[in-house]
Amino acid sequence: MGGTLALTRAEISRLRRNKRYMIFTIAVPVMFYLIFAKTNSTGYGVSFAAFYMVGMASFGTLSGAFNNNTIRISQERKDGWIRQLRLTPLPANAYVVAKVLTSMVTTVPSILIVFLLGRFYGHVQMPIWKWVACAVTIWIGTLIFAALAVALGYKLNPDSVQPVTIAVFFFFSIFGGLWFALSGALEKLGEFTPTYQIVQISTDVIGHGSVALVNVIGLVVWFAIFAVLAIFAVRSTAETV
Amino acid sequence: MGQYQAGYATAPSPVASYAASRGGAPVVSFKNVSKHYGNLHAVDGLTLDLRHGETVALLGPNGAGKSTSLDMLLALRKPTSGRIEMFGSDPYHAVKSGRVGAMLQSGGLMPEVTVRELVSLITKLHPKPEPVETTLKRAGIAQFADQRVDRLSGGQTQRVRFALAICGQSELIVLDEPTTAMDVETRRLFWSSMKEEVAEGRTLLFATHYLEEADQAADRILVINRGRLLADGTPAEIKQRAGARRLSFKLDPVDEHFLLGLPGLVNLEVRHDLVQIQTSDSDATLYAVLDAGYRPREIEVTSLGLEQAFIAITAEDDATNGNAYAGETS
Repeated sequence: MGGTLALTRAEISRLRRNKRYMIFTIAVPVMFYLIFAKTNSTGYGVSFAAFYMVGMASFGTLSGAFNNNTIRISQERKDGWIRQLRLTPLPANAYVVAKVLTSMVTTVPSILIVFLLGRFYGHVQMPIWKWVACAVTIWIGTLIFAALAVALGYKLNPDSVQPVTIAVFFFFSIFGGLWFALSGALEKLGEFTPTYQIVQISTDVIGHGSVALVNVIGLVVWFAIFAVLAIFAVRSTAETV
Repeated sequence: MGQYQAGYATAPSPVASYAASRGGAPVVSFKNVSKHYGNLHAVDGLTLDLRHGETVALLGPNGAGKSTSLDMLLALRKPTSGRIEMFGSDPYHAVKSGRVGAMLQSGGLMPEVTVRELVSLITKLHPKPEPVETTLKRAGIAQFADQRVDRLSGGQTQRVRFALAICGQSELIVLDEPTTAMDVETRRLFWSSMKEEVAEGRTLLFATHYLEEADQAADRILVINRGRLLADGTPAEIKQRAGARRLSFKLDPVDEHFLLGLPGLVNLEVRHDLVQIQTSDSDATLYAVLDAGYRPREIEVTSLGLEQAFIAITAEDDATNGNAYAGETS
């Protein structure tokens, strides 16, 4: 485990230097929040400032844990970095574990910053346990997006992973309801997405302090599916990375 | 015009004798190892032992199975059949114990970190590593240790890979085409630092297509072609095995039947009146020609380098087994 943590620390210091990563996980959600949070409207039964706080924090975790990982994993597999690591005493799964841990750590600032903006710029007010419950729900999303990213990063080469990543990213963010609350046919289209479950659970917590079981089950099922896909992808490429 | 191949009846067969001549448990042992991809036999029944402290060159043309063999040794690929042992355990556990340091052609580096950060990271993963600064000096990368890994030249990148292979002070070092992309001076520096590693009692296995390198750096050469071991011996033995000398002369008319029966003959090529013979005993070959009453003109005897020996050994193999195989792979 010591080796895996050393690798995780190296991955984190890499990302901290990466401007692109900082822009997409922190700057973009912050900017959007500053522009739109004061819209005089509601979303899923809560104030727009509260809904949009959930949406933008999730947007940060989605781009940090998903977009970033798919492309990097695919590129690093092609470059032979994963092979190089396999020649070290690191356990076989260390690379993937370090990627997921890195995402779990590096998405925390984006959640915290957007939540601070929500409190002090959007004037969202609620009991502390609701803040924690929402933050943890969004943070768990990191794990789900990272698992899917591992599956795609291992299965697709760098050329094809880019368009697939962008397609999934936009679908999950628009139809999952991160940018605006959906209703009617559009909501039907996206109500199965993991991002939709995250937004629903969070806004339910904020609005009335209880959650629908179906959304929780939805999250668990997505995580199970992506984790299994990731494990299969990693195993099936064991001879080619 | 024609080309004839004779067997190695007159040349010693070092494959069995060399391995038996050294004692101690093998560091690495391949037992009848094969790797098949459908009809393609990338590695085909490879059996060999590496002993402690040896510097061994794995020599073969492109596609001979060098990289596949090293991949299997390093637990990156699984053999289709046969068994590989390293330090008395399977390759995976040997690699995970840190007793092997390796540098592959296909091995990449982590971008966006400095050279020192990368070397420190890999150093931390090994149980009893070299101090980072020592590794940087040994690999000749100290002067650009603070540069970013993704901004290095090809030769510099190659030296960083080398640093990653030696930073763990592993007992066995495996290098796949280590000096590719290095200029002459860098290559010389590389081999001098490599000799330090070997002097400390490490075992070194490297694949190369620079025959000069194999000749100078290795005390044992394994020639492989089509996934099979063709020759195993010291550079001197390999040269001798291939027919150490080339004898050429002009003769008119040429009696090919007679020439094929010459003592010491390993390979015969005839172009019009020009006869070229590869022989393990040029004196005996030439005397036999003269004794038979021939008076050849423009006699030349030259000694073969390792390069020609290598070409001779693999060409012989291609001629014997080549055609059917080539059909399968294309």
